[in-house]
Amino acid sequence: MGEKNVLILPGRYENIRRICQFVTEGATRSGLDETAVFHIELACDEASANIIEHTYGAEDGGDIHISWHVAGNMFIVTILDNGPRFNPGTVPPPPSASHPPQPDDVDNIRVGGLGMHFMRQLMDEVTFDYTPDQGNTLVMKKKLPAKMDKQ
Amino acid sequence: MSIQQQQTGSSHLIRISGRLDQAQTPQLEAVLNSLLEASHYHFIIELTETTYINSGGLRSLVSAWRKARQQAGNLILFGLNERLQEIFSMVGFDKVFQIYPDAAAAREAMQKIVNNAL
Repeated sequence: MGEKNVLILPGRYENIRRICQFVTEGATRSGLDETAVFHIELACDEASANIIEHTYGAEDGGDIHISWHVAGNMFIVTILDNGPRFNPGTVPPPPSASHPPQPDDVDNIRVGGLGMHFMRQLMDEVTFDYTPDQGNTLVMKKKLPAKMDKQ
Repeated sequence: MSIQQQQTGSSHLIRISGRLDQAQTPQLEAVLNSLLEASHYHFIIELTETTYINSGGLRSLVSAWRKARQQAGNLILFGLNERLQEIFSMVGFDKVFQIYPDAAAAREAMQKIVNNAL
């Protein structure tokens, strides 16, 4: 397993850009291409915004603890918060799954759950875990290109 | 990173440069809401120089689109790069918004929308 790189910042919207930069610099250094780095950036952006908005309920509700490392053929991002348990099952399904939005359905286009949908679509693996002493742990994995497998 | 607006006939062109993220979305919402409150309901959003959008940015566009449509107006888009197109289609919003490749096509489409609303 590669060395773990860690950043801890207060849960504030203005810190999300720094969180994303921290992870995308690591993703670039680890050999991911521009498209994959963009996917990771958006996934980290949405994950951080969800923690501030939903888990902590507001800015300054607690810290966001973010780390990345490489293990096998995976670039792995781990995001921890110490808010109440987050249940991903409560997030509404994405608008495009079974009921694609229609342009004439003006009043009913759903915009909740977009962030979670992006995380699941953009990353190869997304898992949530919770322990009372550690809080929520989100792990998101992105496959490295084949030539990087042996790192 | 900037948001510029300009009135062209009955519609408003809003040009978003840079990242449509937590830092810039509140500015876009302020611009759109102030125009909506002044009873303007026809918007062309230029995304040619928009390099990034997240779910908050998408929500702000859907919100203004919804308010415009409820008043027989519309909010249409042009100039999405490949990354933005990917994001819009990932949540089906490429089917919600009318999206055009360039300014000329968007202007022509908006003229028809305005004429139909008269």
